[in-house]
Amino acid sequence: MAISTEKLTNILQSFVTSTTDIQGAAVVTPDGLPLAACLPGGMDEERVSAMSAAMLSLGDRIGSELARGGIDRIFVEGDKGYGILTSCGEDAVFLVLADKAAKQGLLMLEIKRTLADLKAVLM
Amino acid sequence: MEIMRLVVTGPVGAGKSTFIRSVSEIEVVDTDRRATDDALLIKKRTTVAFDFGRLQFGPDMALHLYGTPGQSRFDFMWDILIQKAHAYILLVAAHRPHEFREARRIMTFMKQRSPAPMIIGLTHTDCSGAWDAANIALALGYPDPARRPPIVAVNANETASVAQAVISLVQFTWAGSLAPAT
Repeated sequence: MAISTEKLTNILQSFVTSTTDIQGAAVVTPDGLPLAACLPGGMDEERVSAMSAAMLSLGDRIGSELARGGIDRIFVEGDKGYGILTSCGEDAVFLVLADKAAKQGLLMLEIKRTLADLKAVLM
Repeated sequence: MEIMRLVVTGPVGAGKSTFIRSVSEIEVVDTDRRATDDALLIKKRTTVAFDFGRLQFGPDMALHLYGTPGQSRFDFMWDILIQKAHAYILLVAAHRPHEFREARRIMTFMKQRSPAPMIIGLTHTDCSGAWDAANIALALGYPDPARRPPIVAVNANETASVAQAVISLVQFTWAGSLAPAT
């Protein structure tokens, strides 16, 4: 069955709008092409996708080469907020951009839930 | 131990990853992912961050080789890698003339960001439809044979051929540092 971009976009939109302190989200292919995105204005979808893929692939490499095992997520903490990359099955990477005010526990839980929804569509 | 950082760049499928694999003494750090874009027409997997290889060059110099991704959506990686490069080689597949424009674009990108010396490596020169060096130089914007970077033919699959290209690049860099171009 074909992957429904519309469904993916809907999931992302409701994730971004219903969760406080989340500013954007995207689902991209492991080679850095956009599948669906809901990003703050001024961020280029294609660029965001490529960066996500590059970062996750390096993280994977650190996992295997430096014996850290399989990588669950990559967490970028800036003084203005977070960028969190989570692997979403074999064919996708999930990126979340969150405000500094976001509660990390809540954020992780929301990501986990949304991942399940995304995977269901990607299957 | 002196370290010289060399960047290997060029369009998709020019042979950048193969180039580094052929000459590296360590197991190459690669970041290959299954291709889902146009790269798929040429190959199954594509670099998304960089390739890294190392080569001992004489008793007191190590070469660090960094291969860039080919697609322009990864130009932030081009930028990161070229900033620290001592020299770079632009690989161009001689038998895919429609990619010369992309090669030229990459070259312009690099030149805007780095004064590091560059040579041009022609791959796939044995394939049918391959252009000769003079015509490729012309296509890349070097009409005058006296005023163009060195152009070497390289078979990315052959260690000796890649090593020769690397030596050319290092020599060209040294020549430039002895007598700075005006």
